[in-house]
Amino acid sequence: MHGRVKVKSTAQQEEEKRKEREKKLKVYLAARDACFSKRKEGIWDEGALQVTQQLLSSNPDFGTLWNYRRETLMHLETVRDEDEVQKIYEAELSFLESCLKVNPKSYGSWHHRGWVSNRLPRPDWARELGLCDRCLSLDDRNFHCWDYRRVVVKMSGVPVDQELAFTDRLIGSNFSNYSSWHYRSTLLPLLHPESPEEPAPPPRRASSSPPPSPQSRSHRVCEEQLLKEYELVQNAFFTDPNDQSAWFYYRWLLGRAEREEIISCMFVSREEERVSVAFSRAVNSAGLLLVLDGQPQRVEWRSVHPRFKHSPVWICDLAPGTISDVTNEHNLTVHWMEKHTHRDCALYTGRTESWCRDSATDQELFRSDLSVEKTSVLQSELQSCNQLRELEPLNKWCLLTIILLMRALDPLGYEKETLAHFQTLEVSRAKTRPLDAEQEVGSLTSSFSFFLFSPSRQEVDSMRSAYYGDLCSKFMIENTILKMEYAEVRVFSISDKSLTTLCHLDQLLLVTHINLSSNQLHRLPPQFAMLQCLEVLEANNNSIENLEGVYHLPKLEEVLLKNNKISTLADLEPLASCPKLKRLDLRGNPVTQVANVEAELTALLPSVVDLLL
Amino acid sequence: MQLDKHADYIAAYGSKKDDYEYTLSEYLRMSGIYWGLTVMDLMGQLPRMNRQEIIDFIKACQHECGGLSASIGHDPHLLYTLSAVQILCLYDNVDALDVDKVVEYIKGLQQENGSFAGDKWGEIDTRFSFCAVATLALLGKMDSINVDKAVEFVLSCMNFDGGFGCRPGSESHAGQIYCCSGFLSLTGQLHQVNADLLGWWLCERQLPSGGLNGRPEKLPDVCYSWWVLASLKIIGRIHWIDKAKLRSFILACQDEETGGFADRPGDMVDPFHTLFGIAGLSLLGDEQIKPVNPVLCMPEDVLQRRDLQPDLLS
Repeated sequence: MHGRVKVKSTAQQEEEKRKEREKKLKVYLAARDACFSKRKEGIWDEGALQVTQQLLSSNPDFGTLWNYRRETLMHLETVRDEDEVQKIYEAELSFLESCLKVNPKSYGSWHHRGWVSNRLPRPDWARELGLCDRCLSLDDRNFHCWDYRRVVVKMSGVPVDQELAFTDRLIGSNFSNYSSWHYRSTLLPLLHPESPEEPAPPPRRASSSPPPSPQSRSHRVCEEQLLKEYELVQNAFFTDPNDQSAWFYYRWLLGRAEREEIISCMFVSREEERVSVAFSRAVNSAGLLLVLDGQPQRVEWRSVHPRFKHSPVWICDLAPGTISDVTNEHNLTVHWMEKHTHRDCALYTGRTESWCRDSATDQELFRSDLSVEKTSVLQSELQSCNQLRELEPLNKWCLLTIILLMRALDPLGYEKETLAHFQTLEVSRAKTRPLDAEQEVGSLTSSFSFFLFSPSRQEVDSMRSAYYGDLCSKFMIENTILKMEYAEVRVFSISDKSLTTLCHLDQLLLVTHINLSSNQLHRLPPQFAMLQCLEVLEANNNSIENLEGVYHLPKLEEVLLKNNKISTLADLEPLASCPKLKRLDLRGNPVTQVANVEAELTALLPSVVDLLL
Repeated sequence: MQLDKHADYIAAYGSKKDDYEYTLSEYLRMSGIYWGLTVMDLMGQLPRMNRQEIIDFIKACQHECGGLSASIGHDPHLLYTLSAVQILCLYDNVDALDVDKVVEYIKGLQQENGSFAGDKWGEIDTRFSFCAVATLALLGKMDSINVDKAVEFVLSCMNFDGGFGCRPGSESHAGQIYCCSGFLSLTGQLHQVNADLLGWWLCERQLPSGGLNGRPEKLPDVCYSWWVLASLKIIGRIHWIDKAKLRSFILACQDEETGGFADRPGDMVDPFHTLFGIAGLSLLGDEQIKPVNPVLCMPEDVLQRRDLQPDLLS
């Protein structure tokens, strides 16, 4: 079905072809019917092997015929002696080898080979490994072969370092070697597991989240080996900067350690009599327990939006009167039972709210603490990548990697350079800057030369400009969170940063004021409802048309949405769930042109006293 | 775009039963019928197909064990069990089957580590995990298997690049990623996906021609307009693809002479690529085509009838 070129031919050629196909069809049907009728009669002998052989050589995807062969082989096992069985199976392996020569990518053939190897009285794993070597030398991206190799390696106990050396050879000699790098990613953690100082993962129960696969976490490789691996990868992409595999692999190496599973923040409010809890990852509410002054509470946990059965933020409401009296002090604890962890929060007399949290820095959320050696290695790699960039200014892998290295080393320190590199990557989204009158005259000639000679205006990777926009937004949000924490305030301000998306909203549970003005946001997604402390939302001058996430925000009083794309009254319905909303600025939105809009909004949002249309 | 020509191509496809290529593909006939019917339904042309003949065919393909085969006389397998149930959903005639037996068949194929074998001969592949839960979701019987264990197995197939392969340790591949994303959607576990990392790997499938490949350094193919695009839709990152360029690539894969789509411009057409070309265009927002569900590759209205709305990340 794949790769069959359409060839034009004359009427006579068509007729000849038709006759030939008719003939082939007859032959095929006869063979097929012979197999089916033999099988129906329950014949499991060498004859069965013969008739199926004919068809399978050219049609190895005809699964039922492999099944018939297997039935036959299993039957022969019972009526022949061990030596004969060994011979029969070895003949089977020969047959399979010829099938694989014709079609090296048939699931049926590879599965059958694995089945045969498993049943062979005396399997020859060295031979099987040799087959894999040969097959991979013809096509080192054949995943069927790689998967079979992994079985052979496991069954015959080939040492991990031998397989690592095998990947070394392939990577050293070949261009298209993603499969080899992938294999390395699975081998390294086995050979060089995480250091013994790392805390043992807590015992897991059947219902809890499954263990992360070893291949997905690069930190599970000891640092010494990791640094050697950086060098290896660097050699690869400097030798051939257009070979993507090495760059993908490198990004994995730069990845951070898995987060400790904790309750990252707990917020208690007397007014709403509510407890809001943020976790280090999305969780299910089963297994959460709230204890108040030593007494377990019967509460119902809810996520911030009905959409989410798994969420990093959960809320529960206490029975009325439980903590409302400000003269009472209370001690609250949330237990995350599955992870054997908990968080305490004391609500003092005279205080209307309280919280307890680990900062993003404490959690090494956006940046890991690096050892001196690692810092030094990464810095020199950054230098080398910058040198490469001079030689290959259009290589987007290099640019992106420079950005990732800067994030790893110093996210705040490199913010300006990071933004500049993103501009280069996503050039089709470059902002236009208004020219003043003086410049206009000269601008025609100067803009020509700008296009012709300025490398930063050329297409680096405009197809993926939306990806880069979102990635840059993510990094700017991370930086803003870090700055907010250093300043020890609850105001999150990120305006005029070309934000295309929002993320890390689970880190903003305590934020009271948010300024998202002058960006490129299209919506405030359901996750926005995690901002349980929000009082003022400023998001003027965006392209917002969806307010799903402005949902049950108990403290929200002011919403400023001037110059957005809110077009219908239905778009504003989520706001009705915010009981304290007093001020709403909708100027410059299409919805202001809807008939009778003022009356409709007054009915929809009765708490709003200051409505700007 | 030539929807009428494509409909004519599919309508005529099955009628040439003495065609050599058609016969050679008998081993996957049930899936072939599913591809043809689904694309016809997406184009609003399902009535042109022979409903009763197909339902009778399906009935004749259900085996005693409950599983369905690709064709009469062939052995049952999860792949064709799913295709059969999908077809019966299109025709709103699921009770043509012994549903309990189908469920029993699927249940019996789950292994201790949560994985699924394709049939009694034991081939393990995340494709089969998808087939199992998709079939059960369509039948409303997901609780008959050990879902937690099934999830555990699929997650153990997650790789360094955020993608998924056939088995633990297997390289990431767009087809497998589609199956695993679909699986995690149906089992309510999409939050376990690293959407940013996987989304990046997926959007890097787009080549300068605008077409998508299935993994790094491979050629573009119209069927990846489905596997990659649907995966991106499921994980909420479909906007990371250049839609206009992809659309032109897909349209270039049409054969204006015969109707239908080929894997690449200039190649021979077939129903498989025709479905995925049309389905890809639907995901891209083409208003001439019915909305397609990215998890199950079936018209959304059919799933609404089954009251099935799998999660998608936003």
